[in-house]
Amino acid sequence: MFKILNLSNIFYWIEKLIGFINSIFFILLLVALSFALIFSPPDYLQGDSVRIMYVHVPSAWIGLASFSSIAILSIAHFIFKIKNIKLITKSIAPIGLMFTCLALVTGSIWGQPTWGTWWAWDARITSMLILALFYIGFISTHKFITNENKANKISSIIAIIGLINIPIIKYSVDWWNTLHQPASIRLTGESSIHSSMLMPLLLMFFVLILYCALIFLMKYKTEIIKIKKKNLKRL
Amino acid sequence: MILNFLSMNNYGLFVWGSFAITFIACSFLYYKTLKTLKKYEREFAREINELSSERKKVVIENSKIASQVLSSFSKTI
Repeated sequence: MFKILNLSNIFYWIEKLIGFINSIFFILLLVALSFALIFSPPDYLQGDSVRIMYVHVPSAWIGLASFSSIAILSIAHFIFKIKNIKLITKSIAPIGLMFTCLALVTGSIWGQPTWGTWWAWDARITSMLILALFYIGFISTHKFITNENKANKISSIIAIIGLINIPIIKYSVDWWNTLHQPASIRLTGESSIHSSMLMPLLLMFFVLILYCALIFLMKYKTEIIKIKKKNLKRL
Repeated sequence: MILNFLSMNNYGLFVWGSFAITFIACSFLYYKTLKTLKKYEREFAREINELSSERKKVVIENSKIASQVLSSFSKTI
């Protein structure tokens, strides 16, 4: 079991996984884009502008999921002090930041034809902006603090404090009166989105998850090489 | 028909703009990540090659990662 967690074995599997994702990614991307831009119907109220949902919603989900993972792994790092965890959180953070920014930008573009404004200091949008700031804080500590232990400690604290923002983002549309519509897709209970739109949305989400996995693996591989490079003199 | 598809019933700028921004951001992050990975792989392989032959042998025997990186860069160095 522990042999699998050995860095050499992880490195071997990373190479295999990168190859596998590269081989299927573009076909799946083409299928997902065809459904999102051609086969899915326009909305009866929003018309074709609803297609922005196929990049906006998966981006927001990935931004939230990435930060939740970082925060949970940071708690685990505080308890178990496993160095590998920090390599993982460092590799996830840039992906999460990019998708949070994409959710904000595409949401703003969607807001113009739907609400008549690019930006509103609305609870959902503001809490997403705060999430982006937490990401920037997390990444900056690793970039600007040279003492690794100190950087790990501060970034973990930022991630754990930032975790409070996640339920605020999720329930902001229920707790406050906002321009943003309530959730259409529920894990528990019935979703209010039609299957002709749900299918392309889930397909786009799957493709973007594959993209995230690819970037994560490449970043994780870079972190492993950095460690091996540092340890070269000790071998 | 193609013009209809491109104009998206007058929402074309918003829809295509959103997809284009996502595509550009994803391509940029992919390119930047790949470039950094290749840079570290190249540097690591170069440092191993600069070692004396005895030390290089020890490093390759003790580190699977070093031998993998070295083999993938042996043609380019």
